[in-house]
Amino acid sequence: MLLNRANSGGRWRIRPDGPGKVTGSLTYLTDLTRENMLYGLVLRSEHPHARLARIHTGKAKQLHGVRAVLTHEDVPGLNAFGIANPDQPVFCKDVVRYVGDAIAAVAADSPAIAKQALSLIEVEYDLLETVDDPEMALLPDAPQLHPGGNALHRTSFCKGDTAAGFGQCVHIVEETYYTPRQMHTYMETEGGLFVPEANGRLTVYSPTQHGFMDRMQLARILDMPQTDIRVVSSPIGGSFGGKDELNVQPYGALLALRTGLPVKIHNSRWESVRAGLKRHPMKIRMKTGTDASGKLIAHAVDILADTGPYSTLGAEVLNFATEHVIGPYRYSNLSVMGASAFTNNGMSGEFRGFGGNQAIFALEGQMDRLAERLGMEPWAFRKLNMREPGDPGPFDQPIAATEGAGQVWEAVAKSPLWLEKLNRSQTVTCEPWIKTGIGAAFTMHGAGLGFGIPDPAGGRLQLAPDGKIEAVFSYEEFGQGLLASLELMLIEQFGFAAEDIRIIIGDTDVVPDSGSTTASRATAMMWKSLQRLKEPFLEQMLGRASSVLGIPADLLRLSEGGIRLKENGEAALQLTYKELAQADGAEIRCDTSFHFPVSSTDRVGAHFMYTYSAVAVKAEVNTLTGRVKVLEQFHAVAAGPVINPQGFLGQIEGGSSMALGFALTEEALMEKGFYVTRNMDTYLVPTIAEHRGKVTVLPIEELPAGDEYGPRGIGEVGSVTVAPAIAAAIRDAAGVWVSRLPVNPLELQDVPFFLKEGGDRG
Amino acid sequence: MNEHAVRLGTPYKLSCSVNGSRHEIETAPSARLLSILRDDLALTGAKRSCEIGRCGACMVLVDGKPVNACLTMAYQCSGKSITTIEGLSTINGNDPVQLAFMEEGGFQCGYCTPGMVISVKALLESSPDPSDDEIAEALSGNICRCTGYGGIWRAVKRAVEGRRSSG
Amino acid sequence: MTGSIHETPASPHVWQPKTAEEAWQCKQACGSEGIYIAGGTLLHTRWEAGIAAMPPHLIDISGIDGLNGIKIGEAGLELGSAVSLQACRNHPMLLRRFPLLTEAMRAIAAPSVRHLGTIGGNVLSIVGDSITALLAYDAALVWFNGQSEQTEKLTDWLPNAAVPGYTDDRLLLRIVLPLEGADDKQNRCTDLGAAGNKRHYGAFHKIGRREAFTPSVVTAAVLVTLSEAGEIETLRIAAGGGQTVPARLEEAEQDGIGKQIDTDLLRRIYERVGQIYKPQEDAFATSAYRKQTAANLIVTELWKAGGGIDGQGG
Repeated sequence: MLLNRANSGGRWRIRPDGPGKVTGSLTYLTDLTRENMLYGLVLRSEHPHARLARIHTGKAKQLHGVRAVLTHEDVPGLNAFGIANPDQPVFCKDVVRYVGDAIAAVAADSPAIAKQALSLIEVEYDLLETVDDPEMALLPDAPQLHPGGNALHRTSFCKGDTAAGFGQCVHIVEETYYTPRQMHTYMETEGGLFVPEANGRLTVYSPTQHGFMDRMQLARILDMPQTDIRVVSSPIGGSFGGKDELNVQPYGALLALRTGLPVKIHNSRWESVRAGLKRHPMKIRMKTGTDASGKLIAHAVDILADTGPYSTLGAEVLNFATEHVIGPYRYSNLSVMGASAFTNNGMSGEFRGFGGNQAIFALEGQMDRLAERLGMEPWAFRKLNMREPGDPGPFDQPIAATEGAGQVWEAVAKSPLWLEKLNRSQTVTCEPWIKTGIGAAFTMHGAGLGFGIPDPAGGRLQLAPDGKIEAVFSYEEFGQGLLASLELMLIEQFGFAAEDIRIIIGDTDVVPDSGSTTASRATAMMWKSLQRLKEPFLEQMLGRASSVLGIPADLLRLSEGGIRLKENGEAALQLTYKELAQADGAEIRCDTSFHFPVSSTDRVGAHFMYTYSAVAVKAEVNTLTGRVKVLEQFHAVAAGPVINPQGFLGQIEGGSSMALGFALTEEALMEKGFYVTRNMDTYLVPTIAEHRGKVTVLPIEELPAGDEYGPRGIGEVGSVTVAPAIAAAIRDAAGVWVSRLPVNPLELQDVPFFLKEGGDRG
Repeated sequence: MNEHAVRLGTPYKLSCSVNGSRHEIETAPSARLLSILRDDLALTGAKRSCEIGRCGACMVLVDGKPVNACLTMAYQCSGKSITTIEGLSTINGNDPVQLAFMEEGGFQCGYCTPGMVISVKALLESSPDPSDDEIAEALSGNICRCTGYGGIWRAVKRAVEGRRSSG
Repeated sequence: MTGSIHETPASPHVWQPKTAEEAWQCKQACGSEGIYIAGGTLLHTRWEAGIAAMPPHLIDISGIDGLNGIKIGEAGLELGSAVSLQACRNHPMLLRRFPLLTEAMRAIAAPSVRHLGTIGGNVLSIVGDSITALLAYDAALVWFNGQSEQTEKLTDWLPNAAVPGYTDDRLLLRIVLPLEGADDKQNRCTDLGAAGNKRHYGAFHKIGRREAFTPSVVTAAVLVTLSEAGEIETLRIAAGGGQTVPARLEEAEQDGIGKQIDTDLLRRIYERVGQIYKPQEDAFATSAYRKQTAANLIVTELWKAGGGIDGQGG
């Protein structure tokens, strides 16, 4: 059944955060102010690579209204951060490695004074050679950006013998694919309010995807116990992976502690662009061959990622890409090599899709090219080579088996778009330079952080003294609808009314550490938590009710507003939750903690749970201008039960929009380590005019009998298959294979047909 | 320097109406409306995002027309009537546009939503039954990074219906 | 709390003249420290990007009598320089008589920016997308030079204004669009309209990097009148886009005058456009792409004017 409002019935609900968002009354963390608040700004490097000869802050400190000017000398703890490997300086001391590197920070009475103070800080640079090309970075004579060299991380995965395999191939396709430096472009730039509390603690109000990780990293920088820091992290005006790593928090925290006053920092868009994370630009070389029947015999891949100056999650992104260039197909011989190189370009890091977007664009491009070489229908070619249920995963690791691959394959095969492609007849239009085509792409996308990486999960249910049922998790709401999903699960699984529930998230003082809100994992982990909490929580609640009412617990049930008898479903309330909360007895509270399910493998990063997705796209190419319009999309997503219909639809539609930008309009251009695209006048994300076409979403909810993992993640999968499907549609329309994104219109242009010999309209 | 032209210096007293109330605000003539709303009047519904008029997160109505508060200077608001997202809800509840966005899920993170709602409101005031071309043109200055605009299209269509049926 | 927190130490003074003479005097008094400002949208973008500093004096011309209206004058339709882009976008007479210009307006920024930005500002930027359409209508500029009004063809002013270091203290009062022909149906976009025995055809294209609210890469305008016999009687072709100062492609126009629209002519004009349109490259689009795009669009519009598929070869 297609996913839309009409088909969702009462499960299509107004989100709990809806009223605050449509009325503007919801206070974001960058909207917060305090009496006597100071304004913080960060001085960042003027150069992509330089030695710092001298930093002089004297003039800035003397400016009236300046309360603090901090440099590397003022960091009490570790002068570095980074989720996986703390190698990014809070303040640079000797060397700057990109244009976002921080050198100093200022707190002042007004933004204008803070800005003026920045201009008074004198920094002398000795310029160093800029390493702006990852290929150059890995050459032996390149300037080395870190003591360990310029290779942040290398990966490899081999089986069989590809050299011998290619010898047996009848058809071989070789291609190099390039993908852009994409910017998250969350509408709310990084920022927050940093408040030193009277009791010596520090409260950090600043968006992040994992409050406890921020707290740990800040404690390390500030040399403070973690328990002295409170991180409040929701609501968030968009993140998409971009706010998982620390951004302004170290500066706000240091300035607040130094001045003893609340400090507000809110990045300008340009500051956000220069300092913030982007999607890794990748160059992926593939050589793939089949036998005469179309069976994949050999697949050789070489991935090169530009990770920028510091680690953050660059290694993990490369691991993910390495897994996903193998993807959902069977090969007799396989050889994948990956490298992620440090450069003086912008920071690359976590971004929705996590390396899958680049990998799947390349892999699906190979499948379409091979099918054409074979003269096979491209979807049939995929079916021929697809992993079967029960097959291991891309790294030959055990995975949670589902029928997802075949299900989404079949959904696209039967989709109106694909039938239109197969049954299309040539029609002459009055504008023959407009050419339309249909393409499709397919993937299995891993959820969770993968084997070998701590991936804790869990949560808490408790009855508050005022009778509210409190669901307490460390997950964050950045727009995806986490609050709405949790509310709906509590209503459906426990029988509560929305009014009975209080959801508590995003505050390290009150929530348990249930891991990060990343990697398409939060909804699945909340579902699993509630499954584990249900029995003990029911036991405590009904046990207490039983002793109050003098009715055996097994005759009682939870319901809207309070406890009812199991029989006589609509009968009157026996006990409200408030009465229950006020009754004698121990606190009613259940906790659970567990680890995200992992594969029994020793391959770091290998996944256990996958979401399967296939997309068909209809696009049009104007050969006069080379411009491409996406006219229609069909998404089939096999991810288990739909927890929240509106949220599911929104994630697929929204993810596909990011993919459309990745394919057609978005690139954070850099020249010699400097950003060319400094704001949204040149960095172009899709507008509503890009999205006039129909988007149809078909969720496939059935899971194998006995599956205990429930819903799979859907936060990323909408964004990973659209670009290759667009590329296939372009080939279908205009006869051009696109291997570099965003699509360059120059490649799709043609002389008007009436100027060609014979006036051929084809 | 000039005997005739009016000269506005700092401090400048901006006199205008915001959400129906008269305000006299001491500011600089070139101060941006966005910071006047957010910092002086504590109306934070208009959001700070690109600050060059390219995203629409700070959209407000000035004399009924949608403008980017980040591009508008104090002196340009003199004597004008300004409506922010906070001014749309009435005692009777939310505006039909706001209801439509909630019912259709025309938002996710919500940061673009106040500006988006303002632009839809302005569109429907001038064109109660807009074509798709008109909708696309009217909202082309409001960037939403979360929804892919699907829910926004549905919300606008629903708002059109809602207004029609409510009279 | 007062509004002082966002006030820079050097907040500019704003001058609000009521007449062109007052504005001129302000400009003379401020010298290089003062600039005329109307909507301020382009200036804001430049200040925010750090390309230019906010000057000490802003001379707000939006209150000057006569700069805010659209009216019919002796020389044609007069657009006051402080008329907003959005007022132009939806003006009934412009929609009817100058549809290439309203189409250009539709594609400039977004409505909210167009409510602030003005036609004068778009022209004075020398790379505004409206200029390509104005060139097709052979627009003129009327300036105030401190003493009197001066009229100058847009085609004559642009090359001078494009010289590096060009400055001009004159105040742009209005833009004049000659009312050629009498029939309201003329110049309808992508549609042949008959007026008497002649046929009129016009089109404006803006190609950017996305579907809406985009900087232009190429702008092109074509305006053609065909005789009853199908010969080109008048032809104006203009092209610009990005940082390219729009210009009429006069040699291509000359190629067409007096000719039937056939494949030979289209091929000649196609090649000519490639030779004489000199687009500026940037990091986003090559000169080759811009040339091909302009040539494709221009000859395709002429092909359509000649009857398109039905008229092919005729």
